[in-house]
Amino acid sequence: MANTYETLVLLSPELAEENRKQIIENLSQIVDKNGGKIAAVDDWGVRTLAYPVRKQTRGSYVRFEYTAPGELVGELERNIRIADGIFKFVTVRLDGQTAPKEA
Amino acid sequence: MAFRKKFTPKRKFCRFCADEKLPLDYKRPDILRDFITERGKIIARRITGTCARHQRRLTTEIKRARQMALLFYSAVHSSDVKKHTA
Repeated sequence: MANTYETLVLLSPELAEENRKQIIENLSQIVDKNGGKIAAVDDWGVRTLAYPVRKQTRGSYVRFEYTAPGELVGELERNIRIADGIFKFVTVRLDGQTAPKEA
Repeated sequence: MAFRKKFTPKRKFCRFCADEKLPLDYKRPDILRDFITERGKIIARRITGTCARHQRRLTTEIKRARQMALLFYSAVHSSDVKKHTA
């Protein structure tokens, strides 16, 4: 059973460019390795947050869209929790709603 | 009282039903912002006119947006306030 999921992660604005790339790369690889397929990686860039998170008023968002079996989500989130520099994340199953794509 | 006039307020309608393309999505805080008060509370259905189905979704989307710091939980703890006091 594979579903389409979307994970939005909030990264620290203090992250060096290479670390940022590294994290995005890592997460994409985890999806690939566990039988998922990345559909889109969407980089929103640095944005002002609605409220400060860990004393930061800014943060950069990256959105992953992928098709994967449900077990992968747990694995991905486990890795997100371990990784440094990720403040927040949310995973949503996209069903039926055919990608209302605006950023 | 004689001067009390009958008045009919503008008919409310569900914005999401009226415009199918209007995305109801936590990633669009600009749209969600229309459905919260300036203090960040979700506005009741009877005020905004949103239909039950969309209001249910709207609530979850607003809460997701709050989780991801796209919307504030309360105005007191928003970035704007912090900037002024810091």
